[in-house]
Amino acid sequence: MAEPLIPVTALGGTAPKVQGFGPLTLSERPDVALASLAPLRAGQLPDLPLPGPKDLAEAGGLWSFRTTAEAWMILAEGRAEEDFAARIAALAPGCAVTEQTDGWAMIEVTGEAAALERLLEKLVNLDPALLAPGHAARTALHHMGCFVLRPGAGQLWLLGMRSSAGSLWHAVAQAVQFQVVTLAERAQD
Amino acid sequence: MTRLSGGLIDRSKVLSFTFDGVRYSGHPGDTLASALLANGVQLMGRSFKYHRPRGVVSSGSEEPNALVELRSGNRQEPNTRATVAELFDGLEARSQNYLGRLDRDLLAVNDLLSPFFAAGFYYKTFMWPKAFWEKLYEPAIRRAAGLGRVAEGADPDAYDKGFLHADLLVIGGGAAGLAAALTAGRAGAKVILADEDSRFGGRLLAESHLLDGAPATQWIEGVLAELCTMPNVRLLPRTTVFGVYDHGIYGAVERVADHLPTPGAGVRQTLWRITAKRAVLAAGATERHIPFADNDRPGILLGGALRAYANRWATAPGTDRPVAIFTCHDEGHRTALDLQARGVPVAAVIDSRNDAVAQGDYRLIAGGQVSGSQGRLGLRGISVTTASGTEAIACGALGVSGGWNPNVHLSSHHRGRPVWDDTLGAFVPGPGGPGGLLVAGAARGKGSTALALADGAEIARQALAELSITAPVIALPQAEDTAPNGTTLWHVPGKGRAWVDFQNDVTVKDIALAHKENMRPVEHLKRWTTLGMATDQGKTANVTALAVMAELTGKTIAETGTTIFRPPYTGVSLAVLGGGDTGPDFRPRRLTPTDVFAKSQGAAFVEVGQWMRAQYFPKPGETHWRQSVDREVIAVRRDVGLCDVTTLGKVDVQGADAGEFLNRLYSNMMGTLKVGMVRYGLMLREDGFAYDDGTCARLAAHHYVVTTTTANAGLVFRNMEFARQCLWPELDVQLISTTDAWAQIAVAGPKSRALLERIVDGFDLSNAAFPFMACAELTICGGLRARLFRISFSGEMAYEIAVPARYGNALMERLMQQGADLGVTPYGTEALAVLRIEKGHAAGAELNGQATAAMLGLGRMVSQKKDSIGAIMSRREGLAGETRRLVGLIPEDGQGAIPGGAHLFTEGAARNMETDQGWVTSTCHSPHLGHPIALGYLEGGDTRLDEVVIAANPLEGTETRVRVVSPHFIDPEGERLRG
Amino acid sequence: MLIPHPLLGLRDAAEFTYLGDAALLNRPDPGAGEAAFCDYVYLRDNPAGVHRELWYHEQGDRSWLVVTRNTLTHEILGAELARDVKGGAA
Repeated sequence: MAEPLIPVTALGGTAPKVQGFGPLTLSERPDVALASLAPLRAGQLPDLPLPGPKDLAEAGGLWSFRTTAEAWMILAEGRAEEDFAARIAALAPGCAVTEQTDGWAMIEVTGEAAALERLLEKLVNLDPALLAPGHAARTALHHMGCFVLRPGAGQLWLLGMRSSAGSLWHAVAQAVQFQVVTLAERAQD
Repeated sequence: MTRLSGGLIDRSKVLSFTFDGVRYSGHPGDTLASALLANGVQLMGRSFKYHRPRGVVSSGSEEPNALVELRSGNRQEPNTRATVAELFDGLEARSQNYLGRLDRDLLAVNDLLSPFFAAGFYYKTFMWPKAFWEKLYEPAIRRAAGLGRVAEGADPDAYDKGFLHADLLVIGGGAAGLAAALTAGRAGAKVILADEDSRFGGRLLAESHLLDGAPATQWIEGVLAELCTMPNVRLLPRTTVFGVYDHGIYGAVERVADHLPTPGAGVRQTLWRITAKRAVLAAGATERHIPFADNDRPGILLGGALRAYANRWATAPGTDRPVAIFTCHDEGHRTALDLQARGVPVAAVIDSRNDAVAQGDYRLIAGGQVSGSQGRLGLRGISVTTASGTEAIACGALGVSGGWNPNVHLSSHHRGRPVWDDTLGAFVPGPGGPGGLLVAGAARGKGSTALALADGAEIARQALAELSITAPVIALPQAEDTAPNGTTLWHVPGKGRAWVDFQNDVTVKDIALAHKENMRPVEHLKRWTTLGMATDQGKTANVTALAVMAELTGKTIAETGTTIFRPPYTGVSLAVLGGGDTGPDFRPRRLTPTDVFAKSQGAAFVEVGQWMRAQYFPKPGETHWRQSVDREVIAVRRDVGLCDVTTLGKVDVQGADAGEFLNRLYSNMMGTLKVGMVRYGLMLREDGFAYDDGTCARLAAHHYVVTTTTANAGLVFRNMEFARQCLWPELDVQLISTTDAWAQIAVAGPKSRALLERIVDGFDLSNAAFPFMACAELTICGGLRARLFRISFSGEMAYEIAVPARYGNALMERLMQQGADLGVTPYGTEALAVLRIEKGHAAGAELNGQATAAMLGLGRMVSQKKDSIGAIMSRREGLAGETRRLVGLIPEDGQGAIPGGAHLFTEGAARNMETDQGWVTSTCHSPHLGHPIALGYLEGGDTRLDEVVIAANPLEGTETRVRVVSPHFIDPEGERLRG
Repeated sequence: MLIPHPLLGLRDAAEFTYLGDAALLNRPDPGAGEAAFCDYVYLRDNPAGVHRELWYHEQGDRSWLVVTRNTLTHEILGAELARDVKGGAA
């Protein structure tokens, strides 16, 4: 009888926000499902990709990266509407699994690798080697705690607290915009 | 126009600019200073203290004199050195620090009053009568002494910040820096090459020396072209590395668009935080002048600056008269030759050395010293004194060369003390400077072109070897390699005033006076005379000053020592340090899941930490916030209200030892909580005072969800991790924040159950099935997973319902829609606060860090059966003996407001610290009771019900008689909660 | 400053929250009495020189670290996960 509830994205829209700036495109990714996973003493390590502290791993459509010294985040594209945590928990008996899908807002930045790397210089204080493809890091971005994931050379995933998605979008979009203008000015010099 | 041939300016384009309203023209490649000189303008400003006419002294960032205001309106920028301001079309510049006209400054009277402004005058003069300071002296001094004027409005330009990482940071792109960068670049190291100039090359651009027999620019261009092809090399022109910080962190400002009229939609400047494993300081050297009487007239420049203006910018000061040179060094002769080569007539080279030899076809006065100068607003002539007497020489400009001071600044940022090198006659970087910073080239006294090139390459190799990177030996061009040949001449003795520090108007006499007054240590000298304390940090003054002091004290310069430099190397604007985020973007904002709904209702918002929370929801016709808040409170007490409480911190606690872990964190027992139930929890600090409160829900045997207050969410999580990792790592427990993951809405009021029954999927909400303090996981609205907690902050029957955050807004709208006939009302933080005060629930004002559990009326919550954080210390004498208690207060007259923060006194008692009985913590108007109410701590409060006490507000001189009542203004038995 | 995180390598100090003397790891036994707790809560060493101190990687992996630092020079002599230090002590 009850009509299902209609979700809104972290930026408050009914559809994900997408915006292109020169060589780079920003997209809100509300389709991404997240669950944290921390092995407990009684359990054993599940058969999931569980990479080292600086890495981003993928197997069977499940991405994974470390969140703490003892825990990982499991990420899947296109599965936000599932009870993702319950499915991961079923795969990981004896692990503490917590739903995190709506704890985070993901902004994807795609485009030229060189432009992405220039963008990262303006966002996070990390050696670029830590953000090469296949790497993940948690750090501060404009005073916001964020995960920075690099699934591919031309692809960057930024995960920030859902509640500050607007501030995160602003920070990234503005940095991209400044880069585009500066490059155009340099070209004229 | 005084344009010479050649130079590195683009004559194919003409740029138009104004100085003090007069229109001039220049070319790309010009600085404001070079363009003004090329237009015959020598007078560029007035000095700080005496308002003496001043012109440009140098050709770089060390400039003490030619400070100007650039641009206008809100972009007006004071104290810019004309020597580093790149010319652009339409540039507006103004001189500063004068009254009336620059050429007839009315405040030049200060110069006549100079005896009153001697060293230490700040400390000696204007001291009495005392009352005159604020009213008369200070305003007058502030008007007369000073530099430019800042813009009144907000800066319209954007700034940003960024982070760079490198193996090697090369600071300075002259001969040494270019050789260092090329060496490291070819080694494959990650290199950043930063230079403050718009063009790389440093002094190579200013000298006439050839490299491999060709103009130096050819070699520079070749090196830059190669560096540009290297992906491991980053070039940062127009970038000043201004400071060195711990562990190889460098601060730098890139002037991205200062050379453009406006930055348009881009940034004007970028603040770079550079993390470099090693750095090479190749910052070059600054030439010394030689103080003599009246050595500050426009037209008297450093000799190296004259060469730079002639060679790089194709101009020379002094249009109608020849140029003279004053030197103690072979440098001066080079200046003469370079000027002659460009067709500038040279009147004479005055060399203080008796054995000086002319190196070309010009008049040499060996063993001579310049002892005075003439000309009101510009140099007209000089007096030259030799053993045989004094001669007047007509000249329009004078180049002074007293040797070079290595730019040791950054090497002294970690208290590295420069050391005196007698052979060089200069201070060079000493030990104890920043780790990982190596110095190369003229910055450590290796000043010939060949030496600088070789040293840059060698030091880069050394730096990389420390990183286990082997760098190749690169081929360097054939270059000038004359050994420095000269003596030191620190000043020309005489009666007139001889300027040492141009910018702060400090003379040799001032130093002598400081000496006489026993201000002899260099640090005292600096503060007494203000020498080196101007915006240029005395780049052209400090060494000369301490040499003069050494002479006066009869000590060597090495014994006299030197002051050290602090960041920044040159001025850094506050705007770029701020990094650009302004207005609403000043800091991150957190929006609640129902933000869209709240905005659609026209809610007023309030900042709670980073959160933007709905404060109240005004309805049409409500003109005062109290009307809205009273209506919202009454709706909760009578019908049902909805409030977004997502901001409360939520932490997921899992593991076999989760219960034990929470037992140790909370003062009360959590391990005994039944699955499906919630318990109120109180956390203490380890010192025994109350810290934070919240609820603890047990979802499964090994799974709890705890809540914290909004304000303490981050801190409590940090402390929980501290307890887990640092105190009890043996416990099997894992934590993660779920604050953002779940939207949580309070549904409060007598009709809350009726409303929720309309959205749950067949879940039994009856009192028997789901009593007060129950919790459950369930589905709502046809299958959406949710969590339900029967908890109450308002004192009414109430629930908090949580759904995945993206559904929060829709849930709020659904509840509004489903509850329309029940009188459902959204309420904000104001109503939330009123409801909790009416119920006597503690919040931030009560949990203020000075309250014990007993004061809050929660003494029984501190379990005596177990240890927990703060338990032991809460039992110590001072805390256990605390007898103040939380009470309710109502005005005795039934209407008088009770001021928050008022202190409580027994009627008739004196009002002082000894008789203080407590204070008012929270206060509001209670719509339920129809009069003001308050909570407060009162000495022995629990035994004083019905007593009348005084709430005194001595700040405003008001007092209110208040009656002590139970802090539970509504439903003290808790029947509503359990209904 | 750069903190050598044992798992993540050098990370900027701005990512960390500083707490102070690592003696805070040694919470007294509840039976040790009030005086022992008084020392624990209120008394800290603040040496001019080598100091073992607690840093929390708040903008990172949420690890509490024991960092050994010379407070005169800011030289960092080592960093360990606090839970490892504690585990070793236990």
